[in-house]
Amino acid sequence: MKKTSFHFLRVGLAITFLWIGVLIFKNPEAWGGYLQPWAAGLLPVPLAQAMTGTAILDITIGALLLIDVFTWLASLVGAVHIIIVLTVSGITDITVRDIGLLVAAAALMIDSLPEWVLHKINGPKISN
Amino acid sequence: MTAFALLFTLSAIGISETVYLIRKRLASEKPVCPIGDNCTLVLTSRYSKFFIIPNDVLGLLFYVMASFVSGFLVIGVEPLALWNSIFKLSVAVGALLSLFFTYLQWRVIKAWCFWCVMSACTIWLMGAILLVSIIV
Repeated sequence: MKKTSFHFLRVGLAITFLWIGVLIFKNPEAWGGYLQPWAAGLLPVPLAQAMTGTAILDITIGALLLIDVFTWLASLVGAVHIIIVLTVSGITDITVRDIGLLVAAAALMIDSLPEWVLHKINGPKISN
Repeated sequence: MTAFALLFTLSAIGISETVYLIRKRLASEKPVCPIGDNCTLVLTSRYSKFFIIPNDVLGLLFYVMASFVSGFLVIGVEPLALWNSIFKLSVAVGALLSLFFTYLQWRVIKAWCFWCVMSACTIWLMGAILLVSIIV
């Protein structure tokens, strides 16, 4: 990915995660309403508490993306987080937007993987 | 709410920009200068510090404060009136300082720095949004 487009995507996704975190903090119970009943039943803590935890996670991901520190890890956690959101909220009118965010996070992660992770994925190079 | 969303977005853009400049300065590297080629001249001039504090650090502190305060105002963290006053006052001071720094680039250093102009425009835009939200 070109350097400039990478940073545009990074900052844009960071703002999305940060702002969602702020909005969940504002009204955790309302955001908890997006959870399917079966998923809400699985929560080991009260719904509002779980949503506050989600807000903290969203803000942490957003902050790391914004300052470009551990970008690969933040985008990986962000992508996994969006997959969980897609699973527990079911198919709705806004599912397509979450898919866009998921792919954006995955693209950022792929493009910012550090050398040692790539080395582990690809294995040591065999020289002839 | 819409105004705070825009203000929060602008402060986040400001954070990413100032963090980039601080990193480049600490690594003694030249920042990318998308328009013109005088960024280094401005960023290393004698006006790049306010007493001993580099301007990029001051900018970062301002944007972090702005993002926190706009977040507090959206969430409803008390005392709202105090946060509101702090926000308006700091944006006003920031806008005036940006005006001064833009004048320095134009008349004194006689060189333009893309990142400095972008930061100034960000703060002026924040001021404009605040003004419109007060009027409407």
